[in-house]
Amino acid sequence: MNFLIRAAVIAALFHITPVVVLVKRPDAVQALLPGADAYVAREVHLSGTDAHRLHEAVDWSPEDGVLVFYAGSAGSTSVGALEFVRVDTPHGPIEVAVGFTPQGTVRGVVATKATVEMKPWVLEAVAAGLTDHYRGLKPGDAPAAAARIASRVGNLAEYVAQEVDKGVARALAAYGAFYNHVRA
Amino acid sequence: MLYDLRRADVRIKWLVTGLLATLGLSYLFGAVMVALYAGFTPRSVAATYAGPEMSMAMPPETTVVVQRPMSMADFAKREVHTVDAKLLIQDTHVHVPMYGLIAAALGVVVAGLSLPRRWALGLIALLFAAPWLDFAGMWLTKLASPRFAIVTLAGGWAMGVAFLIVATLAVHQMWLSRERD
Repeated sequence: MNFLIRAAVIAALFHITPVVVLVKRPDAVQALLPGADAYVAREVHLSGTDAHRLHEAVDWSPEDGVLVFYAGSAGSTSVGALEFVRVDTPHGPIEVAVGFTPQGTVRGVVATKATVEMKPWVLEAVAAGLTDHYRGLKPGDAPAAAARIASRVGNLAEYVAQEVDKGVARALAAYGAFYNHVRA
Repeated sequence: MLYDLRRADVRIKWLVTGLLATLGLSYLFGAVMVALYAGFTPRSVAATYAGPEMSMAMPPETTVVVQRPMSMADFAKREVHTVDAKLLIQDTHVHVPMYGLIAAALGVVVAGLSLPRRWALGLIALLFAAPWLDFAGMWLTKLASPRFAIVTLAGGWAMGVAFLIVATLAVHQMWLSRERD
């Protein structure tokens, strides 16, 4: 009986809660591609070799081997591009939107989805300024925003910030290797 | 039989009633969650579990780019909640033990009911078969064909029906039956 109770407690602790939307995609797009009035979805279907290269770089493969970038423009002027990246954790998935300037640096990061369980941790990390520390990063840089806010947040918010770091690292690697270097 | 819920101590009856009420509440919200995230039709369940992986082609020889225009309305479209293979592995890992424990707890209740042996065995088999069907359906939908979504639906309904049968019989025999102590 003791075993059953312990197993139930463990199962309850690790039970994955549903994903909730923290910021709607249109709002994230408007925040990360300000002023854009036209958008193009750029789907990069990775070859086996390129998918392997990306996996080696950031220990990640996009769903179905397809990277999707959304480019925004205002008239004939490029505003930049953004990606939605999912990070799977033992507590369920989180999604971050990473926006890039036309010069290829990070304009901003928005946490768009998390599980019900992780939502307060994400909100705590964001309130501590997590996403401010990604601005200006460029492909090749290693995001370390979690370490920057560690002294101001609890352990769980720091943990989730590390997962957001992973998401941003994936976006940087994908953008750097495949956004401008593969022709449509 | 020594263990008979009709004649059990009131504390045991109260414990079983509390267990059934609690599980009933979780089943009710489980149904609401299914409605929100996967739906109750074979098509919606298939969309959740089969996802685009069913039509996934082999990786191209060289990386290729496809572009299409997007409008803000496209970004606002309701996204279908999908469960990919990685998430389904995680879901199976955490849900199946819990389902097993719930089936075991309800099976212990069944063992205390006054039922013909065959009925009791059948009911216990149904309690354990339901989660098996549920997850077998999810995996078959993902790996074999979206048509197997019907197996997941059958598993979900079997879970609900089995719980209702156990709860109804238990409450009746513990608190309403003439033969109770």
